[in-house]
Amino acid sequence: MSAQRIMWLYILTGLAILVLMMLLGITMRMEQAGWLSYDATAFYSLLTLHGVGMLTAVALAGLGTLWYLVSRETVLDARIAYLAYAFFIAGVLCVIASVLGHFGALWTMLYPLPFVEASWPGWATGTYLIGNLLVMIGFTLWCVQILAALLQRYGISGMLGVEYIFRGRTFEAAGRRPPPPQMFAALIVSIDGFLASIAGMAIVIALIVRWADASVELDPLWAKNLTYFFGHSFANLTMYMAVAGVYVGLPLCTKREYHTSRPLVIAWWGTLTFVIFAYFHHLYMDFVQPQGVQFVGEIASYLAAIPVVVVTVYGGVLLVHRSGMRWSMGAMFLYAGMIGWVVGGTGAVLDATIPFNFDLHNTLWVPAHFHTYLLEGVVAFTLGWAFVNLEQRSGAVSPSLIRWVTGTCIFGGGALFLLSFYLAGSSGVPRRVAIEPPPGPAIAAVASIGAIVVLIGLLICLAEGVRLARLPRKETA
Amino acid sequence: MNGRAMIAGVIGVLTLLFALAPLYRGEVELPTAEHHLLHAAIVTGAALSGVLAWNPAFARTSRLAPLWLLIAICAPILAMFLMWPSEYAFLDRHPGGHAIEHLGLVGLGFVTGYSGQRYAAGIGWATGAALLIMSLLAPLGYGVSPPPAAIAALPTAAPAAEEPASPSDAGRGAALYKQSCASCHGTSGEGGLGPSLKNERSRKDIEQTARWIRNPAPPMPKLFPATLTEKDVREVSAFVQKL
Repeated sequence: MSAQRIMWLYILTGLAILVLMMLLGITMRMEQAGWLSYDATAFYSLLTLHGVGMLTAVALAGLGTLWYLVSRETVLDARIAYLAYAFFIAGVLCVIASVLGHFGALWTMLYPLPFVEASWPGWATGTYLIGNLLVMIGFTLWCVQILAALLQRYGISGMLGVEYIFRGRTFEAAGRRPPPPQMFAALIVSIDGFLASIAGMAIVIALIVRWADASVELDPLWAKNLTYFFGHSFANLTMYMAVAGVYVGLPLCTKREYHTSRPLVIAWWGTLTFVIFAYFHHLYMDFVQPQGVQFVGEIASYLAAIPVVVVTVYGGVLLVHRSGMRWSMGAMFLYAGMIGWVVGGTGAVLDATIPFNFDLHNTLWVPAHFHTYLLEGVVAFTLGWAFVNLEQRSGAVSPSLIRWVTGTCIFGGGALFLLSFYLAGSSGVPRRVAIEPPPGPAIAAVASIGAIVVLIGLLICLAEGVRLARLPRKETA
Repeated sequence: MNGRAMIAGVIGVLTLLFALAPLYRGEVELPTAEHHLLHAAIVTGAALSGVLAWNPAFARTSRLAPLWLLIAICAPILAMFLMWPSEYAFLDRHPGGHAIEHLGLVGLGFVTGYSGQRYAAGIGWATGAALLIMSLLAPLGYGVSPPPAAIAALPTAAPAAEEPASPSDAGRGAALYKQSCASCHGTSGEGGLGPSLKNERSRKDIEQTARWIRNPAPPMPKLFPATLTEKDVREVSAFVQKL
């Protein structure tokens, strides 16, 4: 029960932050459409909070899911989960405080932006940086605990599935089985998350020192590399946190098992190895970056994402095929999340391709792909996993009208919202600006309507979740 | 005393002797990056000693497990703070203070490795590696000015004057080109980060060139109207036609 309570604490906190951040996002799109009017300083502060808040929200939900799934296989210490949670919340509160102080250097806090010509007080910069450090400490606590637990349960080669791949026959003849698929997701998140946190803490400490002592100079290229090493990896890992729910949730819906297969293990190795190098694609236009690194960025972006998407989605589709699965809310979100993952991933791969990147990277194409990835992928997986749990617990499913309405709002409204981003991006509308050149404002108006529809769908969905949670627990034999 | 503890002791003593070097070397003057590297060596030795000092015979589970983990994660953070680059010049001139700072690094390095192992066997290696990586990242840019090559490659676009100061339009177009375009397209239009503009007139007439400057496709920066006025655009376009 304790493990379930921790999972729900993380998921519900994540969803609450998500709704608040969606509200902020809608006001920003409405401002770009010309429907609302506030000054640019407020816009950039809200954009900063929106970015950090959204990533923290989806990460919290994913970490809660993974924590519960790992705790089913091995022993975890609940106190560390609560300690990590406390660091996350303290960090979020610091970020909110900094935004109240009008900090607006965006969530990427690229050096020297937090310090030059700032229209916010110095304390806001410091509070923002300390908030980030607290979130990173919380994330590192989580990663190290999971890593230690997996090491104790499987050993290094066992948790990587090395014997299963290289000595498969003797391995299986001995009646042994590789770890279940969700453990690979947990492993990749904990190892790569730990590495990303090291880089993240290094740059945040350097920025805090720079904030306290203006005589300390940092190399901007070094700072950008470390910032994106952490930022891109962390954002990417939120998907791998959420996808663990698919490996367990979809089998509950289809009443079939999602086996660990050799292609799946090898695909996860690809992600483990390459996800930390994929961030180089954020620096294609930094011409002082060594050229070889740029090609590594392109190749790593493909190898980190494509194999695991293909294998997981193919496995998921086969699981559903002719299974007679009942299309409950949980099943709908898990299945649709796979489509969102593929579409958002394709947008990401296009952006990671050097010739496209030169045209697209500073445009709304980039928020288009990561909003697809996060909203229709990570959030859909999170909702799917939450609903599968609620449906299993209560033995009830939602009325089909509710399912149709929420599905239409979240995916139909989402399509309107996201296609607006893609269209604006391909038209060259720049990103991260309070006032967009034409055709940005007209497209932002359509996007605002789409986003409002998504929010309505999400609120109906949450209300339905509360209803299911209040039903009596299903009696089990 | 077992072999593991002996190795830990030897590494610890060697690290301590190395860390106290300022006391017998006196005043020194080290570049920041080199100073960071020497600190990396100190924390690595100390963390290694901390990992080996842990006795595997100890109980595997501890009621204080969350605390050990928190210490193992926070110690590297404190060590990074101790590597405050602007203090290096002061510490170089004050060997006593320098040695105390190094003792702090030794302590934090040891605690990183030991606490990690106390939390769970094997984790001390991971937290020690984290400290090593952070301290090796420092020489690459923490307190280090950007390399001259990086500065030279930065675009040098600067706001153009509203009214011409040069004797002729052609001359002013050249000046504007040098100011706003040459960093990417080369001083004579031979190309560089941006494409060559040699014989541009065969691809675009003056109107098309001006239109392109007003509304370029990424990655070319849009300088009109914030930096270049309509008049500036016409003059630069005229100059580009002559390349």
